[in-house]
Amino acid sequence: MNQALMQMTVSGALMGLVYALVAYGFQLTYATSKSINFGQGELVMVSAFFSLTLTDLGLPYYLMIPGGLLFGVVAGLFVERAGVRLALEQKSEGWILMTIILGLFGFSAAENIWGRDDRPFPTPISSDPIQLFGISITPLEISVAVGVFMIMAVIELFKRKTLLGKAFEAVSADRDAAELMGISATRTIMLSYGLSGLVAALAGILISPITTVGPTMASALVLKAFSVAVVAGLESGFGVVIVGLFLGSLESLTSYYVGSGWREAPGLVLLILALAVRPTGIFGKGVIRKV
Amino acid sequence: MLVVDNLHAGYGMSEVLMGTSLTVKKGTLVTLIGPNGAGKTTTMRTISGGLKPTKGEIILDGTPVQGLEPSKIAHLGLAHAPEGRKVFGPLSVEDNLLLGAFTRLPHFFGFRAKAAGDLEKVYELFPRLKERRKQASGTLSGGEQQMLAIGRALMAHPKLVLLDEPSMGLAPVIVDEVFAIIRRLKESGITLLLVEQSAKRALEVADYAYVMERGRIAVEGVPAELEKNEKVVAAYLGS
Amino acid sequence: MLKRFILIRGIEGLMVLLLAAIPLMINNGFMLGLLTLLAIYGILLIGLDITVGYLGLINLAQAAFLGLGAYAAGLTVTHFGFGMLSALAVSALLGLVMGGLLAFPSLRLEGPQFALATLSFSALSATILNEWESLTQGAQGLQLVRPPLFGLVLDAKGFYWLCLCMLGLVWISMKNLLFSQWGRAFEALRDSPIATDAMGIGTYRHKVTAFALGSGLGGLAGGLYAFNFEYLQPSVFVYELMVILLLGVVMGGRKSLWGAFVGAILIVLLPNLLSNRLLFQIFSAIGFLSALGAGGLALYQKRTKPFQGVAPMIAMGLLVVGSLTVQNTEDWRKAIFALMLFSVVVGLPEGLMGFAATFLSKIFKIEPLPLATPSDLEQVLVKRDVDGGPLLQLQDLKCYFGGIKAVDGVSLTISSGTIHGLIGPNGSGKSTLVNVVSGLYSPTGGSILFQGKPLVRGSLFDVARQGISRTFQNLQLFSELSALDNVMVAMKGWYRSSLPLVLMGLAKKDEKRAEADALALLEMVGLADQARIPAKDLPYGAQRFLEIARAVARRPTFLILDEPAAGLAHPDVMALLGIIRRIHGRGITIILIEHHMDVVAGLCDMVTVLDGGKVIAEGLPDVIKRNPLVIEAYLGKGSGTASPEAVSLATPSPVPA
Repeated sequence: MNQALMQMTVSGALMGLVYALVAYGFQLTYATSKSINFGQGELVMVSAFFSLTLTDLGLPYYLMIPGGLLFGVVAGLFVERAGVRLALEQKSEGWILMTIILGLFGFSAAENIWGRDDRPFPTPISSDPIQLFGISITPLEISVAVGVFMIMAVIELFKRKTLLGKAFEAVSADRDAAELMGISATRTIMLSYGLSGLVAALAGILISPITTVGPTMASALVLKAFSVAVVAGLESGFGVVIVGLFLGSLESLTSYYVGSGWREAPGLVLLILALAVRPTGIFGKGVIRKV
Repeated sequence: MLVVDNLHAGYGMSEVLMGTSLTVKKGTLVTLIGPNGAGKTTTMRTISGGLKPTKGEIILDGTPVQGLEPSKIAHLGLAHAPEGRKVFGPLSVEDNLLLGAFTRLPHFFGFRAKAAGDLEKVYELFPRLKERRKQASGTLSGGEQQMLAIGRALMAHPKLVLLDEPSMGLAPVIVDEVFAIIRRLKESGITLLLVEQSAKRALEVADYAYVMERGRIAVEGVPAELEKNEKVVAAYLGS
Repeated sequence: MLKRFILIRGIEGLMVLLLAAIPLMINNGFMLGLLTLLAIYGILLIGLDITVGYLGLINLAQAAFLGLGAYAAGLTVTHFGFGMLSALAVSALLGLVMGGLLAFPSLRLEGPQFALATLSFSALSATILNEWESLTQGAQGLQLVRPPLFGLVLDAKGFYWLCLCMLGLVWISMKNLLFSQWGRAFEALRDSPIATDAMGIGTYRHKVTAFALGSGLGGLAGGLYAFNFEYLQPSVFVYELMVILLLGVVMGGRKSLWGAFVGAILIVLLPNLLSNRLLFQIFSAIGFLSALGAGGLALYQKRTKPFQGVAPMIAMGLLVVGSLTVQNTEDWRKAIFALMLFSVVVGLPEGLMGFAATFLSKIFKIEPLPLATPSDLEQVLVKRDVDGGPLLQLQDLKCYFGGIKAVDGVSLTISSGTIHGLIGPNGSGKSTLVNVVSGLYSPTGGSILFQGKPLVRGSLFDVARQGISRTFQNLQLFSELSALDNVMVAMKGWYRSSLPLVLMGLAKKDEKRAEADALALLEMVGLADQARIPAKDLPYGAQRFLEIARAVARRPTFLILDEPAAGLAHPDVMALLGIIRRIHGRGITIILIEHHMDVVAGLCDMVTVLDGGKVIAEGLPDVIKRNPLVIEAYLGKGSGTASPEAVSLATPSPVPA
């Protein structure tokens, strides 16, 4: 295979992992509540800015990370309380609009608090490329991959190995029956939004050193995460990784061969195609209509 | 153990329960029978909190529970094996059972060890569940799912178990098995409230029975009396 | 009648005259610009309201359709020298086609996927407008000159009047549409998509049509937009504009033409509001006080959840704080929109017009139009000839869910012209069986023959079109619609007026006939005097009867009644028996799922008993009543079990009625 092609595929795939991570955040909340945060991109961005501020205040990198993650959790909980809960109680789709609104507010606040310019995000991890099987790759990029896989592994372990994690799945399988077991659906949904916020914050921290931090840093990212989530289906964690890797490399190839302005296109086309062919996603389950 | 007094509840504009009252004494098996649409399942759902009553009282072991969230009522010692079984399909049989004991177990680690004894007891009652402990519960047959639903309810060490239509959709052979188990539960001193379509079967195991009609208790009494009651017989075959 | 005419038509007419006259009275270019924009946004928001209001879906693509329409108009004029009207036609058509293409795949699913698809569509069209530089000039922008209208060069005033005319046309045709079979179908599919399909109205097809129409209006508005500004840039038609459009629809009030208009006024005024600090301070103070007042009152009267009362107060409070402290409000524009939208969505979900409508209808009591005279039932339900031959034949039908065998090999023949009872205990598979026949579920195995031909599987809509109609055990009424409208929805297939005719208001005669027929059916079930009451406010028994009337309105060959007597009081059961007999008297074959043996015994020519997903007995009602197996299934025998072999052996061979 052509060297440049390989290079493009690999570095695109690494970006794809970040899409997968954000998409995974959608899955977490979709599982418990059939809702997702449309302002997830803004959550990624605001968390990144917050983490940058922590660094500016002199906190070392590895202490900043838990701070940034904690901020993500709190922000996620806030989204659930202010934007989602009421709509879910009313069984309406109002949460779509509400989370868009909260995202817009976050965006505007970030613009005014941290400024509209892109800023570099300092990191102790080197960005000097090393050669691996003839492909140049930076330790920074490797750290992204490691971070994505680690957090997904931890959350999947939590879901499978702890009773609370199983309760999480019980709520997504049958909310009413879970309540009868003493599992509070409201609290489970809160927890899922907290986790989703944590995942978003981590995505922000991982990607910022590569892309720089700015109010629009995540607006393209989140669109692709949406595509990944819909194409893979909103149920399978494994699916988002596969689709994320695929989309990331496809995109990087598109921008190399067609033009960098078109790099957003494959994700969007893929999404609409996936809806046409298999609306529940490649790895999604079918739905049974009930009366 | 359970006192329900003048309960009113419904869905939207239509009121289903119009002043239901009943009592379940500790250690007894009480059954609630009546025609379809009379409000039996609605009564059960209202007791366990899935439906908010518009009026009336529900007292579980001395604590008023009307209007509480179902999860809260479960923590107060109520277990409900709902109509249609409602097992957690994608989860394994064992996970379903573990979740049944959610109110008593540690939520992160060590829950398996703590639940081991109870699991053994349930498996002893339902050997078939033990064979299929690793299987996704959605793939079980209807009868096995019903047993799982009952087992899951027992895992909570409840003060009161609500069994809603345990024979629903099951072949007659399996129904016999289910009722044999209900009899064993009763003999072991568990307090039960049973809603059942098959009135005769329910009356055979019950200590006391209520017959519901259009949201109210129409007749009540010990089974021997009810079996002689023409109204009760009429409600089932219309002759 | 007169009062109604004056209040509704009069206000509309007055508004048009006023809007048309303003430029004659005040000669102010800025003002004229705002008015033109108002007319354009009015069209755009009416289009958006079709999806957001009537379909109840969050549509994030309307800004993109505005952009596509604008570029289509601009490019046809600059490249091909199109005239005004033909360019506008191209814009609207492009919106319509693209809307259809987008809706076609994405409307198959409800939930967030649809919103995501529209969002992606917006991003994709922005990318294309930006990147296809050879065509659109990209970020540099497209310059164009407003083309003449039939050779007439329009000045600003003339163009404004053109926009106003367009708004008027859109308004009238939308009104025609929304108060027709189509509009009713849109509302119905929001309340119960399942019942809409079961009434032979393709839910999916209607949604796609509605979405395409709304997008077409977006395209038309785009064309006007292009000719208004004579300069286009892709960066205008983005996320922020889309949020503002949603703000307009939600704040104005969903499901209302006036709401869209009020929303357009808000959107047009918003930028000016933000540019004047004092005005903004006054505005936010008013907002805060009304949130405080209305929320406080609602909380005091316990009409609302705490969150619903308190959250708008906090949001509006933040707005006040912002208006006092922030120097440059323009910088915080998005946050301000967000706070306003948040308060409205939480605190005033029905919007300004929704609020005003409840308020106004209390002051001016408008009498509804008098109802038509009911048709003759004999003509509505023309008596069918029945030959007594097999109408529906099931052969070894199976339907499994996971490990549950809900229907496990049922074979059954229903003869035309009979009432066939299907009884059995709860969970014996009765409902699943009819759900398979009516197309809600796909069978796991077996065959279904209807009128000797294999029946379509797994599609409520297609089965309904074959002449099979049904009611639902758990009522699936269109709860927001009146009793009359519920029945009229089901008549859509009967009086099928084409969409263009409806838009032009040329289908009113069919409307009247449908209304008369529907009233005849309501009369049949004893609900004629409750025709105007919303279905959700009818008593329970009446709701059951209404479902039957609605199912019969399809003029079916075969009617499925799924537990019609469940939960009915004795007098209602008696009335039900009468209704079923009358329907049967018109030659309609009925399958009656029932629980009460006495209902079945009084009505049915033949009874089939199910238990555990299998047929355990079949025969004449009197014979069935004495069948020991049936008695056991109902009363239970406790000990002593009927083995499966015994079951099949004991099935009596029925004598056809």
